[in-house]
Amino acid sequence: MRHAVTAAWVVFLFSIPLWMTDLYILHILISAGIFTIAAISLNLLLGYTGQLSLGHVAFFGIGAYTSALVSLGFDLELTDSYTFVFAPWPVWIAFIAGIAAAGLFGWLIGKIAFKVRGAYFVIVTISFAEVVRLISLNWVDLTEGPMALNNIPPFGVAIPGLWEQTFYQKLPNYYLILVVAIVCYIVVRRLVRSRAGRAMIGLRENEALASSVGVDVTRYLVLATVISAAMAGAAGGLYTHYIRIVDPDIFLFIYTVTMVIMVVTGGKGTTAGPVVGGLLFGILPEVLREFASPEVQWVIYGVFMIAVVFFLPQGIVPAVTSWWKARFAAPEGGLGTPEGAR
Amino acid sequence: MTDTALSVEGLTVHFGGLVAVSDVDFVVREGEIASLIGPNGAGKTTAFNVITGFLQASAGSVRYRGASLDGLRPNDVADLGVVRTFQKTSLFSGLSVIDNMLIGLHRRGRGRVWEILLALPRIKAEERDLRMQAAAILEQVGLSHRGGELASDLPYGEQRLLEVAIALAARPSLLLLDEPASGMNPSETQDFMNRVSAIRDQGTTIFLVEHDMRVVMGISDRVIVLNQGIILAEGTPEEIRRHPEVIRAYLGGAAADA
Repeated sequence: MRHAVTAAWVVFLFSIPLWMTDLYILHILISAGIFTIAAISLNLLLGYTGQLSLGHVAFFGIGAYTSALVSLGFDLELTDSYTFVFAPWPVWIAFIAGIAAAGLFGWLIGKIAFKVRGAYFVIVTISFAEVVRLISLNWVDLTEGPMALNNIPPFGVAIPGLWEQTFYQKLPNYYLILVVAIVCYIVVRRLVRSRAGRAMIGLRENEALASSVGVDVTRYLVLATVISAAMAGAAGGLYTHYIRIVDPDIFLFIYTVTMVIMVVTGGKGTTAGPVVGGLLFGILPEVLREFASPEVQWVIYGVFMIAVVFFLPQGIVPAVTSWWKARFAAPEGGLGTPEGAR
Repeated sequence: MTDTALSVEGLTVHFGGLVAVSDVDFVVREGEIASLIGPNGAGKTTAFNVITGFLQASAGSVRYRGASLDGLRPNDVADLGVVRTFQKTSLFSGLSVIDNMLIGLHRRGRGRVWEILLALPRIKAEERDLRMQAAAILEQVGLSHRGGELASDLPYGEQRLLEVAIALAARPSLLLLDEPASGMNPSETQDFMNRVSAIRDQGTTIFLVEHDMRVVMGISDRVIVLNQGIILAEGTPEEIRRHPEVIRAYLGGAAADA
């Protein structure tokens, strides 16, 4: 049953460009997909280890900038007489470099934050994001600062000498982002249903008890931060080679907040939650833009968000799951047999 | 039987100006059930916290089977086979009983992260194996029928049993139980004593902090009495029951009836 639903979803998502020819809508779906990947990555930290990273956009931005810089090449005047020249690399290698750089900073944050939890973890991550934003704004020699990095090459595939396609169009970008999103979803899903994921959940539920039965909580918090940051970096790389321009505004706090909203309303600590939240809040503002003035858009957006949090505090996915179970799994309204239900 | 498992030497713990434990020595021997008793504030839980790495001693040392536990983190202590339960009921309350057990079984799993991400067949085999082990331990403590329920939905006595089951899942050679029978009714307590004896009979040394004298006197091989941070007496339950200082400091007149 579950497999059938998942398969139907995947087929549906792959079929969209076949019957949806409106490029504007495809663009909305691509943006929503990029945000969904970021939300999936945030969910690993927020939903499973229980640590709120309010600087998550930093990893997204590091992935974006690294991927852009590696694919464009850059030169740095280190001293008067020596200039370091970095030649451009192929986009795919730049993309991998962006993921690696984000993961590396994730490792750093995980290590720094190894003793801080809750509010202090939040502060460390916010500060980190702000520092990275200021660097991107002020290190003009490297990042071009507010002038932004332009003409970033898009992704492409080629069979040397025979055939090549560069992803200028929306269609290949849509499929690329869909594939990356599915990979991220599978990574998180496999992880959280394993021994490693249970160690993270143990940290969230009761850190003292988890460590007393031998869970190295620091190690798993760092692991979660690295994987989460790397995925956010991948989302950043996809963004940068799709939009093809990146400036310091990518580090705006509002993007982190959007990711948090997606995870929380979709259902944190569920694998499907960030996907539902990501698509909903990625698409909703664009839909509202069609028939409402900007002020009304934000009012509707806000009211909708408050309603979700108020009526479905666990998020949409857990609410739907428990409704589904109550409706179909236990027809007599009883508890049912736990063994049978599993 | 007489081999020393855990040895505590010169253990001293200060909290600011307060001396919680002062120059305490004691041992727990392989295969026994030893109890640590004493009035509230005597330093029992403090001693537990130091042994299991939750608290740093101000002075003194703790050794288990020849290895020093000083400065180790709780998970390192667990890796050496020393696992504890907590005074205040401590579960993964938002999870099902089975999931509680699976976290407890963390040390028994071997799967590495890259193997998990590739979903290798041996990871699936290991998952099946862990679930069977979880079921076996639940069977041992009498919670098989609760596997699918939320830990927080269990009645209090069963929550305390689940705590022991989680600790057992970590495969301890020394199990430290911090007031496990507090809040249990008499029949639950009796049942609990039988289960603790059974765990010991399967080769796990047990070190117990407990206020309920029926439990302490009923299952202990040896009792250590701590009062105001120092060891007051040590001996078999019979000796402790008759020890004049213990009677004066702790047991009071009621001990004669117990």
